[in-house]
Amino acid sequence: MWLVLCSANDISAQWAYHGLKRRGLDPLEMVYAEALPFSLSWEHRVTADGASINLTLPDGRLIEGGSIKGALNRLIAVPSLQVGHSPDGEYATQEFSALFLSWLYALPGPVINRATPQGLCGQWRQTSEWVWLASRAGLPVPAFKQSSNDLINEAVIERRLFPMGTPTRTLIVINGTVCGAGVPDVIREGCARLSELSGTALLGVEFVQKSDRDWLFASAMPMPDMRYGGEELLDRLASILLGEQEQSQEGKAARVSPDSLKSRSSFSTSASL
Amino acid sequence: MILLCGIPTEPPLALVREALDESGVPYALFNQRQFSIMEMEFEVSNGGKVGGSLRVNGSRHRLEDFTGVYIRLMDDRVLPEVKNEPADSQMRLRCRVLHDALTRWCEIAPTRVVNRAAPMGSNSSKPYQAQLIQQYGFEVPETLITNEADLVREFQRTHKGVIYKSISGMRSIVQTMTEEDDERLELIGWCPTQFQEFVEGMNVRVHTIGDQVFATAVHTEATDYRYAYRQVGDSAELTECELPDELREKCVNLTKGLGLAFAGIDLKITPDNRVYCFEVNPCPAYSYYESNTGQPIARGLAKYLAGN
Repeated sequence: MWLVLCSANDISAQWAYHGLKRRGLDPLEMVYAEALPFSLSWEHRVTADGASINLTLPDGRLIEGGSIKGALNRLIAVPSLQVGHSPDGEYATQEFSALFLSWLYALPGPVINRATPQGLCGQWRQTSEWVWLASRAGLPVPAFKQSSNDLINEAVIERRLFPMGTPTRTLIVINGTVCGAGVPDVIREGCARLSELSGTALLGVEFVQKSDRDWLFASAMPMPDMRYGGEELLDRLASILLGEQEQSQEGKAARVSPDSLKSRSSFSTSASL
Repeated sequence: MILLCGIPTEPPLALVREALDESGVPYALFNQRQFSIMEMEFEVSNGGKVGGSLRVNGSRHRLEDFTGVYIRLMDDRVLPEVKNEPADSQMRLRCRVLHDALTRWCEIAPTRVVNRAAPMGSNSSKPYQAQLIQQYGFEVPETLITNEADLVREFQRTHKGVIYKSISGMRSIVQTMTEEDDERLELIGWCPTQFQEFVEGMNVRVHTIGDQVFATAVHTEATDYRYAYRQVGDSAELTECELPDELREKCVNLTKGLGLAFAGIDLKITPDNRVYCFEVNPCPAYSYYESNTGQPIARGLAKYLAGN
C-alpha cells in the first residue's frame, strides 16, 4: 500500500494521486489530514525493533504500517481539533502535533518528504535561512537584511524577498533533479544543491526572472504545487515510491546548520565559517 | 566576545556569567527585560556571509565578533514588561521582532551557538526523539501511544509497571499507572496518550558540552525525580558519578548527532547494567545539578563558549 497524505483542498496532491495511480501504484490510499485526528483507533509503538503505526480512519479504512511501501506526505500541521481555546484544547493540539511528527517519521519505505520538527512534510524555514542556504548553494540571491526596527509581525505577514504579486517561476526539485527544460545549468545545479543542503527531497524553488539569463532566488518550500513539475515529476515520484530509484534525501535526522557545513568539503564558499 | 541571552538573574545564565567573570572572558548581555534599549540587525550577502550588529544601550557590538552565544530565552510574550500589553501593542511587537532577529541570526551565525533552535525541535515529541536516540545505540523504554483502553490493559499485562506522560513537552510529569487510573482509562478515547514500561534502575543525568561530560546520579523513590517532593515527600539526592568511557562517548555522539552543543541526557541504568535513554533536553537547567553536586558545569559551558 502507498499513501498520499494531504489536506482535502490540496489540488496538487489530487493531481499527483491520479498520476501515480496511472503509473501503477496500487493500492494507493488518499488520506486527508482533516480526518486523521478523528481516527477511530491509534496504535503507535516504539520498541527495540523500531517504531510502528496502525490506525483505523474514521471511514473504517485500516492503515497498517507493515503494509506501507511508501508515502507522498503533504501534511502541514495537525488540523483544528475544534476544541476551542481552553487549556485542555491547547494541550490536545500539542499532543497530536507530537504524535503526528513521530508516526510520520516512523513510516516505512520512501517518504516524500519525511516529517521534521520544523514541518510535517519537511522543514519550513524563515526567509533569512533560505537566502543563506540558497546563497551557499550557488544560486543568485538578492541582498537580505533583517532588523529589530522592521516592526513586521511575522505571525501575520510573511517576510518576503519581493513584493507580493511579483511574477515568479517555480522549479521543482525531486531527488536532486530539477524537472523541466529551459533552465540554465547554474540554476539547475544550484537548486539540486539547495535540496541537498536543506535535506528536502521534494523542494519547490521560486525565482524572479528578468530575462532568460537573469534569475534571482525568491523563495523555497517543502510543499510546492507539484503541477509545476509536470509528467516528469510524476515519473520520478513513482520511480522513487516503487523503489526503482533510491531516495537521496531521506530527511532522517537531516540537519543543516553552520556547524554541519563546516565539514563539507564540496563547498568553496565556507571561508567565512 | 561571548553573547549571553536571557534574564541575567536566572540561575543557568547567572552561573555561566560568573564562570566567564572568573576566567576573564569578555561577554555582552542580551537582557530580555531590557529589550527597549536594544537594537539588532543582520544581513546575508552573496556567498552566504552573515554580518550585523547588536546595540545595547548605545554600545555597539559587531555580530561577527561573537565567538560563542548562549541562549537561555524565556518566552518573550510573557515578560513582565509586556505581559499586560494588548495583543496589538507596539511595545509587544518591538519586543517580538527583536527576539525574532536574534533567533534568526543564531540559526545561520558562523559561531558556536548553544543551542540553535532547529535541532532543539526534536524535544517537542518524545517518541520522535526516542527514534533518533535509538539510532545512537541507546535502549529506549517500550512505548505505546494509543486511544484504545484495551491496548493499554494488554500493555500493562506484559510489563511489571507502566508509567504515562505527555507525548509533547507540555504538562510533562511522569506518573505511575495505578488502579485508580484504570477506572478512567476510557477517557483516552478523546486524545491518544503515551504509556511506557517502567524501567527499574538508577537515574543518571548527563550534561554534555562539546566533548565534556558531567554525570550526576539521582537517588529517589519518585517516578519523576524533578517532582520528588510532591510524589514521595522528600527531595531527590544528587551525587556526581563517573561513566565508563564507552558510555561517555555515546552521550557525546548523541548530542552531536542531534545537532546540539549542550544537552541534558536522562539515562536510567538498570541493575544488569543496561542503559536506557529517556530524553535529551536541549536547554537544560543545569544549575539544579551544579548547586547540588558542585560539578563545574557552568565552567565547562564557559570554556566551550570561549572556544576551548
